[in-house]
Amino acid sequence: MTASRNTDKKKKPGEKILISYMQTKLAVTVSVMMLALIALVGVLVHIVRTNSDQYNKIVLSQRQASYDSRTIPFRRGDIMDRNGTVLATSEKVYNLILDPYVINSGTDGRFVEATIKALSEYFHYSDTELRELIKDKAGKSYIKYEKALSYDEKNGFETYEKEQNTAYQKAGSKERIRGVWFEDEYKRTYPYGSLACNVIGFSSQDGTSGTGGIEQYYNDTLTGTNGREYGYLDSDTNLQSVLKEPTNGESIVSTINTNIQKRTEQYLMDWQTKDVGSKSAAAVVMDPKTGEVLAMASTNQFDLNDPRKLDPSIYPDAVLTELGRKEAVGVYHREHPDEPAITEDDVTKYYTEDEIKSYGQQVAWNQIWRNIPVSDTYEPGSTAKTITMAGALEERAITPQTTFNCQGYIELSDGIHTWKIRCHNHNGDGIIDAKTALLRSCNVYLMNTAFQLGSDKFVKYQHLFGLGEKTGIDLPAEADTSDLVYTADKLGKTTLATNSFGQNFNVTMIQMAAAYASIINGGSYYKPHVVKQILDENGTVISDVRPELLRTTVSKETSDFLRDALYATVEEGTGKKAKIEGYHVGGKTGTAEKLPRSAKNYLVSFMGFVPVEDPQLLVYVIVDTPNLEGEAQATASFAIKIERAIMNDAVQLLNIPSQGETNPEDSINAGFTKNPEGISKETMGTGVTPSSEGETSDADTSNADTSGTTATETDAEGNPVPVTTQEGETVPSTAWAETDEAIGADGGEAYPDAMPEESTSEASTNTETG
Amino acid sequence: MDKAVSQKTIADNVSVEKKKTNFFDYSLLFIVLFVTGFGLVMMYSASGYTAQNRLSDALYFFKRQALFAAIGVLVMLVTSFFNYHNYGKLVMLFYAIAVALTILTFVIGQASHGSARWIAIAGIRFQPSELVKIAVILAVAVQVTHYGARLKTFKQEASVFLWGLFPAVIIAKTNLSTAIIIMGITFFMLFIGTRNYRGFLFLGILGVLAYIFAFPFARFISAVGLLHDYQLRRIFAWKNPMDYPDDTFQTLQGLYAIGSGGIFGKGLGQSVQKFLMPEAQNDMIFTIICEELGLFGAISLILIYGFLIYRLFDIARNASDLFGSMLTAGIMIHISLQVILNIAVASNAIPNTGVTLPFVSYGGTSLLLLMFEMGIALNVSRCTHLS
Repeated sequence: MTASRNTDKKKKPGEKILISYMQTKLAVTVSVMMLALIALVGVLVHIVRTNSDQYNKIVLSQRQASYDSRTIPFRRGDIMDRNGTVLATSEKVYNLILDPYVINSGTDGRFVEATIKALSEYFHYSDTELRELIKDKAGKSYIKYEKALSYDEKNGFETYEKEQNTAYQKAGSKERIRGVWFEDEYKRTYPYGSLACNVIGFSSQDGTSGTGGIEQYYNDTLTGTNGREYGYLDSDTNLQSVLKEPTNGESIVSTINTNIQKRTEQYLMDWQTKDVGSKSAAAVVMDPKTGEVLAMASTNQFDLNDPRKLDPSIYPDAVLTELGRKEAVGVYHREHPDEPAITEDDVTKYYTEDEIKSYGQQVAWNQIWRNIPVSDTYEPGSTAKTITMAGALEERAITPQTTFNCQGYIELSDGIHTWKIRCHNHNGDGIIDAKTALLRSCNVYLMNTAFQLGSDKFVKYQHLFGLGEKTGIDLPAEADTSDLVYTADKLGKTTLATNSFGQNFNVTMIQMAAAYASIINGGSYYKPHVVKQILDENGTVISDVRPELLRTTVSKETSDFLRDALYATVEEGTGKKAKIEGYHVGGKTGTAEKLPRSAKNYLVSFMGFVPVEDPQLLVYVIVDTPNLEGEAQATASFAIKIERAIMNDAVQLLNIPSQGETNPEDSINAGFTKNPEGISKETMGTGVTPSSEGETSDADTSNADTSGTTATETDAEGNPVPVTTQEGETVPSTAWAETDEAIGADGGEAYPDAMPEESTSEASTNTETG
Repeated sequence: MDKAVSQKTIADNVSVEKKKTNFFDYSLLFIVLFVTGFGLVMMYSASGYTAQNRLSDALYFFKRQALFAAIGVLVMLVTSFFNYHNYGKLVMLFYAIAVALTILTFVIGQASHGSARWIAIAGIRFQPSELVKIAVILAVAVQVTHYGARLKTFKQEASVFLWGLFPAVIIAKTNLSTAIIIMGITFFMLFIGTRNYRGFLFLGILGVLAYIFAFPFARFISAVGLLHDYQLRRIFAWKNPMDYPDDTFQTLQGLYAIGSGGIFGKGLGQSVQKFLMPEAQNDMIFTIICEELGLFGAISLILIYGFLIYRLFDIARNASDLFGSMLTAGIMIHISLQVILNIAVASNAIPNTGVTLPFVSYGGTSLLLLMFEMGIALNVSRCTHLS
């Protein structure tokens, strides 16, 4: 089918058809092309045949490398207060990663200068340092150069990098910024710093473990699992990339009320720093109807964002070394159990200065992190009288109408020795009934009550009220007090007498608060708890923590009577200073003499609740060893002051309706207008007079003997047998089993120093008299 | 089967009121449409990841290319009705514009991937060098037709050759590969047009020798210190790509892609290398085809190109006049060279240089002008009368 013709007027007519040599040459050309194509097919076949496996491996390894099983971190759950205020959260931060291998990979070092310049310009890093690092670690691909950059910093640099690279390209330069990338990470932050530090606790840098508080107790809930991106080969040796999303941790809504917590801490710190101050002080605020802890604080406060910072004024190096030496002795003993113990003077032979100091730091950390309301035990003092009486009333050992005659003391005899245990009112309260006994905090009445009840039932009720038991609060390191109360068969008459008004056994604050909550709420003992809800990462409720009713402690009648009696205690008894105008406040004071009794150190406390008719709020405050000399410490008004301040603010914050006209002076708003810091001045500093009047001096007007030394139940100093030094004071070593005997041997100390058993070091420091 | 019969109502230019039917190469049309469609699929596979990553639209390149393909098909069909003899009158103008635009590129050119090859007119960016290829085909065809059977002396040959050499030299500075293709087109068209064999044979052998001895020669020069290593880097890197990973990243990754594809490939869309290779949708798309469709797919594609070339050869052979033949031959040579060079680069048979794979690689200008060329070829076939 040769072409025939062309009618058109062409420039070059004549050659109508392709000339024959051209035909040939065209064919030659096509042949050359075809041959070239065939040759290329050959090349391709050759590549596939000879290198297929090798190249396949390279491809796979490159692909694998590009995945390199990257870990995608999970996000630790938030911790919120009961109103949703975030107390602990994890925010995404970015680590700056340098890849010197990539940076050095450009020809003629075209990435090096540009990258160093960009980093030093944008982040102000030292360029000599960068230069050396990139040179020294030239083969490395992963150097974490800076941690925890914010999103803005990361994003800013990336934009900057892009701009610079574009500028280089425009300028025709071959320089580029390369080898800088960012890695995701989460950083735990606590927006309120030290607020509720003991309840919240803090988490490790990577968010996988918590220390203290909710962070520790609910660690499994808060943590999730890391995700991962990786490649793998499927059955057809195809590379599959798999992205396993991380499972984020669940969030926790605690029962804490941030506002109440804030004020609680503030009043404790005001006491500690602006008032008399004390060795320590702590407070628990609870909803008695549910066992929910609204606030829990102590003077041990630390910044959750920097939990290992030690205040050099409190822990100078000398103190750390001192603590470290003591600890080192123990460490040595643990590490070398078979060898003879070393002394503190010897430790430098075995440990370096730095090691000793680091031990000291650990001790110091444990001290500041200690959650006093849950971990520390102490003798409760008169606040325990209510519990004694509750048991007696339940068992009908006494009735509200039962009267005893208080002559100011009670004499006990074991056949050899005679003991005279005094009431704080040395002249005696006369013939009084149960209510009067409570409001005057009469030791004699309570001792008689305990005798009526008997050891077995006394102990039974201690345990019913959770003393000697763990409350099961959802916080770590709850003290085990099972050995710090007597068992019935070991409880002699003397110790029964002293136990009746709250000494010679140890409790924790949370035990006392939970026990009181059950007494005033009609007898329901709820497990105290600090967590209300668990939410998933989207904020959907996964589980509600319902108040857990553990047992019934008292009948409604007993509860009603005791509420009334405790109301009277505040209205006309030892707790008058706790009164808040317009509210029906009930409460009980406590003043305990600490061990060793001779040191005349006291732990004063107050347990208050409001309103009496239908208690909605329970506030318990202890003040351990006020910074005063001896007897001057022994006034519960220190604790009352703090308690009243907390309660006054809390009733308003919770909108608890008043029972009468309130005093505008008490309004938290009034306090704010006068004092922007919200410190209501009336709560502090009024009751501390140089004569250090005890609570009884105000409360017990009828009490003639209101010397400055009298605390409600601090009889210790008034004992008839003033033994100056008691050999029995080496308490910790004294097993409780010997206690009764020891009293005899002691030659008639009013009540023994010995505790049932000292299992924790803290217990030994906090034991005291009732 | 390729002698499909067309209707008689063709363009008025071919105003022949004969009963004889006119030839129209439907096979060529079909192949072009097929290769373009296939190219779109492969282009999407190769570019989707990058597009998603960089432009958050996996279809970005695909959509643009599809648009150009649609316009291109339109251009092809329109061109196929435009009597090719008119190009003979327009050639001087066309040639002048193309060369002028190329020169203009130096002044207002826009850089992309290092060298300025683009210019924007009325907001449309295109590469004038692509235009030059067609201009040279037209110009050389006109020259060869002008001399006809008389073309045999060296002087004549040189005068024809200059039409290609001149723009090639201009372009070589910014775009060596295009210059090479232009020279190749001129060389082969002249070869077909002239009676002379010897000179071309000589040049051909010289080329083959250069290809074979480039590497040993380069090593020799380097060894005697005539030139430094880095000046001959391209040649060294070509022979030992593994030793120059910085320079041959693309080549190496392409080889890995071909090798790992095996005989039947990993399956459409399953390429792994496209994640690594920068701009896999451009020059190196053939390697992605090898990886996804294997040797089988690659050879199939080469066969299709072979058939395309054969169809162009057939049209050239049977064209109604010398001008039509030379035009079609030029087009055929153009496409052959691009296919060969592209695959040769992909398989590292020659040193790396940027040549696109016709109808498949991403690039609007290139696709449009290829379609235009196909339109010319179709028109030549249309003017062919069956005897």
